[in-house]
Amino acid sequence: MNFDWHPEENEIKKRVAALFDHPALTEIEAMEEAAPAGLKNLTRRYLGRLAETGYLSLGLGPQAREEAMLLLAAQEETAQVSGSLFLAVETTARLFGGLMAGFGGPKLGREILEPLKSGQVVGAVALTEPGGTEPSSGWQTKGRAKDGGFLVSGTKSFVTNGLIADWLAVAGTVDHRLAFFLVRPGQTGLTLGPRFQTLGYNGLAVSALELTEVEVPAHLVLGPFDSDQPLAFVRLMQDLVLTVAAVGLAGRTLSAANQYARTYHRSDKPIFAHQEVRFKIADMVTLFQTAQLLTRRAVWFYGQNDREAEVLAACAKVFCAEAAEKIAALSLQIMAGQGYVSGNPVERGYREAKYPALAGTTSEVSRMNIADELLRRYPA
Amino acid sequence: MDFSLTEEQLMFKDQVLKFARNEIVPRVQEHEFNSEFDWDSWQKLGEFGILGLHFPEEFGGAGADVMTAVLAAEALGEAGVDGGLTLSYGAHTYLCADTIFAHGTDEQRRKYVPKLAGGQWVGCMGLTEPGAGSDAASIRTRAERQGDAWVLNGSKIFITNGSIADVAVIYAKTDPQAGHAGISAFVVEKGTPGFSVSRDLHKMGCRTSPTSELVFDQCVVPAENLLGQEGGGFMMSMQTVEWDRSTLLAPFIGATQFIIERCARYAQQREQFGRPIAGFQAIKHKLADMKIFLEAARSLVYRIAWCKDQGRALNHLEAAVAKLFVGDWSLLPTNDAVTLHGGYGYCHEYDMERVFRDSRLAPIGGGTSEIQRLLISRLM
Repeated sequence: MNFDWHPEENEIKKRVAALFDHPALTEIEAMEEAAPAGLKNLTRRYLGRLAETGYLSLGLGPQAREEAMLLLAAQEETAQVSGSLFLAVETTARLFGGLMAGFGGPKLGREILEPLKSGQVVGAVALTEPGGTEPSSGWQTKGRAKDGGFLVSGTKSFVTNGLIADWLAVAGTVDHRLAFFLVRPGQTGLTLGPRFQTLGYNGLAVSALELTEVEVPAHLVLGPFDSDQPLAFVRLMQDLVLTVAAVGLAGRTLSAANQYARTYHRSDKPIFAHQEVRFKIADMVTLFQTAQLLTRRAVWFYGQNDREAEVLAACAKVFCAEAAEKIAALSLQIMAGQGYVSGNPVERGYREAKYPALAGTTSEVSRMNIADELLRRYPA
Repeated sequence: MDFSLTEEQLMFKDQVLKFARNEIVPRVQEHEFNSEFDWDSWQKLGEFGILGLHFPEEFGGAGADVMTAVLAAEALGEAGVDGGLTLSYGAHTYLCADTIFAHGTDEQRRKYVPKLAGGQWVGCMGLTEPGAGSDAASIRTRAERQGDAWVLNGSKIFITNGSIADVAVIYAKTDPQAGHAGISAFVVEKGTPGFSVSRDLHKMGCRTSPTSELVFDQCVVPAENLLGQEGGGFMMSMQTVEWDRSTLLAPFIGATQFIIERCARYAQQREQFGRPIAGFQAIKHKLADMKIFLEAARSLVYRIAWCKDQGRALNHLEAAVAKLFVGDWSLLPTNDAVTLHGGYGYCHEYDMERVFRDSRLAPIGGGTSEIQRLLISRLM
């Protein structure tokens, strides 16, 4: 057992952290107000910079799970800086890139994955449909064979990076079997948008998309698969990414509230000196450290392909999402009026904090999954 | 980072689990009901080697690391051993025997540690007084040097194992003007003139563990029974509380695993409205929350054990975070376990009410949650 980062893990942490100097932070801050064109430029620029650290190439696909802790070391640094940037990067690399690496062939590797690793591609994965999140809930997106390729029709919602992606992997079915159709903006029959106005993560371009008889050549189709394993992989990756995002958010808001409490004075002393404030911060530190450690353990178990990995990932997601909400709320309370003013990390964090609990596998579904596993393990 | 346990650690935990289920648990209910210390189980714990696990073999131990000791303590809780016995074990091994081992002279070590490690003797530690708990500097028990002896006067309260102990580590003021630096520790043997137990306290939980009030009335202790340096007692007590906040927390983790198994099985047996209650979402969510707490708490307790194994002398922040989290949050799963069992949960024969009562000590003993918040806010 070793709770310290290994030297190579520390090395990538340093390389990634070094990117986020003051000018970079100011630029990243601008993502929150940017229109899609500006967002695309900024996202591309930071994908390029992160690619130079090796970050984008880590942990792509289930076969690269042994890189999980190295990846987490880098992810923690990015998630701490900006939730929007982090989710845009991870959607590109770990979700879209992970699908390519795990379930695409060598040709797609050369055509799409290699440029992605060098930061030249923004990716998106479209899963959710207006009617539900699972194929069994009646996905309408279907591919019909035609002339050696497929004609794809359907509607997707909540597509992260949808409006700025160079490539989109759209989940659907071919003869009731799971498949991912790779499409590009501008293709005939593909309509992107509108952009969703969201409570938080305003630096993410989240949108709907509609496909009407979009022609997709066979070599740009992943699958059709005999099992839902690729979908399970994307879901697990998405949950782990959201968990890390929650920890990053918790760290950002805690740090801002702590700094404020030590510098803002009431009754001739910093408010940190008041027990009600410092006890709140102690609770936040406890939640944050617990969330961080649980996430690290969950990712390590994933990296080991351990049978506990899925249940631990679910535990971590629920805990971290709820911890982030509590920490953001307590941070706002400590900063009071200052925290309520738009544009500061705590106000933003408070708005963003709901997202990890409802995105990916919701906390309710995660709890059901955890319980189902326990009931299997300990029968009557 | 690496969260793996060694084969030896896992095997030993499994051995402890089986041993405890076979040898200890069958007698738990009877002793708990009668609030009696279980001498037979104590002897078996000694024979099995648990009471001196981390001491070198020449002192009657097994030379195990702290992580192994934590896993053994966790296994006791997981098997269903009551919180009283594990509390007595923790106080005996870590608060008494380990303090003598860590700070005693070679002669003191050889005289006391093997007997304590083997369970032939029971140990206790006396710090808390009617007027001083976590505020150790306020203790009023005095030790005055008279020739070749120290004369102790004062009283101690809430002393685990007090009335059954053969040997006690007692903290007293040797220099009342020197604050923390005026506190020293002494080894006081049962039968020393002037040392008596005035009463045992009846408690809500952990009932098989005697909790006593000790009185020192012109108690003459040989000069060689001073433990460590004169004035070094406060630092010793601080190192001692790290055990309070690591190995002593492990049985609470184990107890959570115990109630998860019980609750999962019961929920599949118990039918209401024509189906097992395991089919209801509200029940499943309770089970999931127990598992989430378990994994979160494990992360923290394993970390502090690992820190101690690295030889990091003082890990106060990590220890306080672990203590605060386990203390406050462990009440939720035990409360849910009672609720899930309904009327049966409220009755003695189903164990849940015992675990619930035992868990209430977690945010109190070894420093209340408020003290942990104070420490965390100072140390962060």
